[in-house]
Amino acid sequence: MNTIFTAMLKEEWRVHSTLFGSAGFALFPLLLVFFAFAGAFFWPFFSDVLPAQTAVALIHVCYLLAGASVGGFGLFGREVMNRRFGQASMIAYSSRSLPVSEQTILLAFFLKDTVYYLFFWVFPFVAGLAFAMPWIGLPVTSVMRMLATLSLSFLVGLSFVFLLSTIYVHSPRTLLGILAAAAAGAAFSAHSVNAGVISLLPPLALYYRPSPLLLLTTLVLIIVPSAISVRFLKVEYREETRRFPETLDRLTGILARSPDAHLIAKDALDLNRSEGGAGKVVFSFLFPVMFIWIALFVLLRFIPMVNALMVFAILLGVISSTIYNWVTEFDLFTSYAFLPVEVGTVIRGKLQSYGLLNLVSVAILVAAGLGTGQVALLFPALLTFASISFYAVAVTVYVGGLSPSIMLYNAKVYLPYLGLITPVLLFLLFVSIPNPWFALSSLCLIPPGWYILRKALFRWSAREQPSF
Amino acid sequence: MESIIDVKGLTRTFGDVTAVNNISLSVRKGELFGLLGPNGSGKTTMIKCLTGQLRPTAGEVRVMGLDAVAQPVRVRELVGITPEQETPPSFLTAEEYLHFVGHIRRIGDIESQCSFWFDFLEFGDKKDVLCKDLSRGTRQKLMVAQAFLHKPGLVLIDEPLINLDPIMQRKIKTYLTDYVKGGGTVFLSTHILEIAEEICTRIGIIHRGNLIREGPVADLRSSSKHLEEVFLEAIRGDPHA
Repeated sequence: MNTIFTAMLKEEWRVHSTLFGSAGFALFPLLLVFFAFAGAFFWPFFSDVLPAQTAVALIHVCYLLAGASVGGFGLFGREVMNRRFGQASMIAYSSRSLPVSEQTILLAFFLKDTVYYLFFWVFPFVAGLAFAMPWIGLPVTSVMRMLATLSLSFLVGLSFVFLLSTIYVHSPRTLLGILAAAAAGAAFSAHSVNAGVISLLPPLALYYRPSPLLLLTTLVLIIVPSAISVRFLKVEYREETRRFPETLDRLTGILARSPDAHLIAKDALDLNRSEGGAGKVVFSFLFPVMFIWIALFVLLRFIPMVNALMVFAILLGVISSTIYNWVTEFDLFTSYAFLPVEVGTVIRGKLQSYGLLNLVSVAILVAAGLGTGQVALLFPALLTFASISFYAVAVTVYVGGLSPSIMLYNAKVYLPYLGLITPVLLFLLFVSIPNPWFALSSLCLIPPGWYILRKALFRWSAREQPSF
Repeated sequence: MESIIDVKGLTRTFGDVTAVNNISLSVRKGELFGLLGPNGSGKTTMIKCLTGQLRPTAGEVRVMGLDAVAQPVRVRELVGITPEQETPPSFLTAEEYLHFVGHIRRIGDIESQCSFWFDFLEFGDKKDVLCKDLSRGTRQKLMVAQAFLHKPGLVLIDEPLINLDPIMQRKIKTYLTDYVKGGGTVFLSTHILEIAEEICTRIGIIHRGNLIREGPVADLRSSSKHLEEVFLEAIRGDPHA
C-alpha cells in the first residue's frame, strides 16, 4: 500500500510537470498564496460589500466544489486519460496485471488525492491568509481553524463524489435521482441561506462553532462515503459494445451552412456519446451557474443597488467560456495531425460548437430575466453576456489553444489569462452598480476580442502541437 | 525516374536527443521503400517530418514536389498516412470515421470506398461500432483504410501490420505490392524484417537516428545472407553507436 501510495504521488507530480514543466506547475500554488494574500489584504476595503461571514462561507463552498471536481475525475477521468495520454498507463489500472486489489488501489488513490491536493490547493491558500494576518487583524487561531475546516470541506466534496461515482457504476439512474434530490434540497435551503449554508456544510459550522460533535459529524461525512466507495467498488463490469447508425453525415447536412460542418457534427457526437453524455456539461455548468445565481441574491441583501440580472449576465459571460473547455476536452489534435487539417480550422470548428452550446447560457439568462420580471433589461443583458462571452473565449483560445483545460494549470499560462479577464470583469461589475445599462460598455470588448482571436489562430497554427 | 520523396540532411532533435541525424535519401515513384530499425531508432520521427507533422531542426524535405515544411497541409492532402500510435476518434463509429475523413479530404464517392474497405479488410460487421470499442486490430484496419480513401500517389505507413492476424497481414502485403505495381509509391517503416524482405524493393536501415544502410533489398543481401543478418551486422557495426 505504501509503495502504491508513494508511486501515485510521484506519478501525479510527473503527469502535471511533464505537461507544464516543473517550474510552471510549481508556480500554481505560489499563485494561490498570492491571490489569498491579496484578497485578504484588500478585503477591508470591500468588507461592506462582502461581509466576513459571506466570504468565509464562499471560500468553504469553493473548496467543497474543488474537492468534488477532483473526485469527479473518477467519473470521467478514464475517458479523459485515454484521450489525453493514449496508450499511457496509470498506476490506477495496474490491478489488471499486478497482484493488488482494486480496493487497495482506490484507497491509495483517495489518500493520494487527499495529500496531493491539500498540499497544492489548501495549504497555499491558507498560507496567503496567514501572510495577511498582521494587516487585517486575523487571529492565528482563525487561520489554523480555517486550515482544518477548508481541508475538511475539500475532503467532504472529494468523498461524496467518489461515492457518487460508485453509485453511477452500479446504477446511473439512481445517481440521477440523488442529484435531483440534492439540487432540490439546495434550492429549498437557498431561501433561508444564512442559517442554511452554515448548517448544510458541517466544516463551515465547525469553523464558527468548534465542537467534538461537529468534528465527528464532519469526519463521518468523509469516512463513510469513502468507505462505501471502496467497499462497493465494482471491479468487473461489462461495457456493452455500443452501436450507432451513421449519424455524422446527417448532422453535417443539417449544419451544411458552415464549411466546418463535419467538425461541428463530430463535436456533437463526441459530447453526446461520451460518458455522461451532454448531461455532464449541464451538470458541470449548471451547478456553478445556479450557485452564482443564489449567491447573487445573498449579495443583494448587502448591496441592494446591484442589479442581479446584469451582474449575472457579466459573470455568466465569463463562466460560459468554460464550455469551450468541454468541446476540446475529449479531442486532441494528434487525431487530425496526419490529415490535411490546420490547427486553425479545428479551433474554428470548436468555436462554432461552443457558439451552439452557448445557447444554453442564453436560455438561462432569458429565464433569469423573465423570472425576475426584468424584461426591459433582458436585451442589454444578452448583449453584455454575448460580448463578454466572446471576449473570454477569445482569451481562452489565445492562451490555451486546443488544450485550455490543461494549459490553464500552468501558471505561466494562467497569469496572462487572469490578466486579460480580471480587470475587464471588475470594471464591468463596478460600472453596472450605479446603472446596469453602463455594462453595455462590454460591447467595446468585441474589437479586441476579435483581434485576440485572430492572433490566437495564427499563434497556434504556427506551433507544433503538443502531444500528451 | 522522378523522386517522390527527396530528403537532404534531415535532422530533428528533441532537447538533447537527436532523433534523426543528418539523413539524406530519395524514394522514387513506383518504389515500395522500407525503413527498418529497432525500437526508438527514429522511424516514426522520420515519417512525421516527411508529412509535415514535425518540423526538421535542419535539412530539406520535399514530398510530391512540395516543401513539407512550407506546405505541410498540402503535402497531407496528397499523401495517405497510417500512423503507428494515433487511433481514430473514440466516439465516432468506424463508418462515421471514414465519412469524416471523406469530408476532410472532400472525397465524392465515399460510400463506395467505404464498402470496398469494409469488405476487403473484413470488418463490415463492425462499421457501426464506436472506434473506442473496436479491437486494436480492427482500429488498425480502419487506419489503413482511411489512408487509401482518396487513392493517393504516395502512402506512408508506420508499422502497417501491427496487431493484425496472419490472414490480414497477407492481404495487406498483397495490396501494397499491387498498389505499387499500379503506379503508387509506398514508404513504410517497420521493425519486422520479414515484411521488408517480402515486399520492399528498396530499404533503409536506421539506427539511433542515423541511416546506416540503404539500397535495393537484393543488393543489400547476398544469396548467403538473410536480411536479418544484414540488419544485425549493420546495427552492430554502426559507427555512431
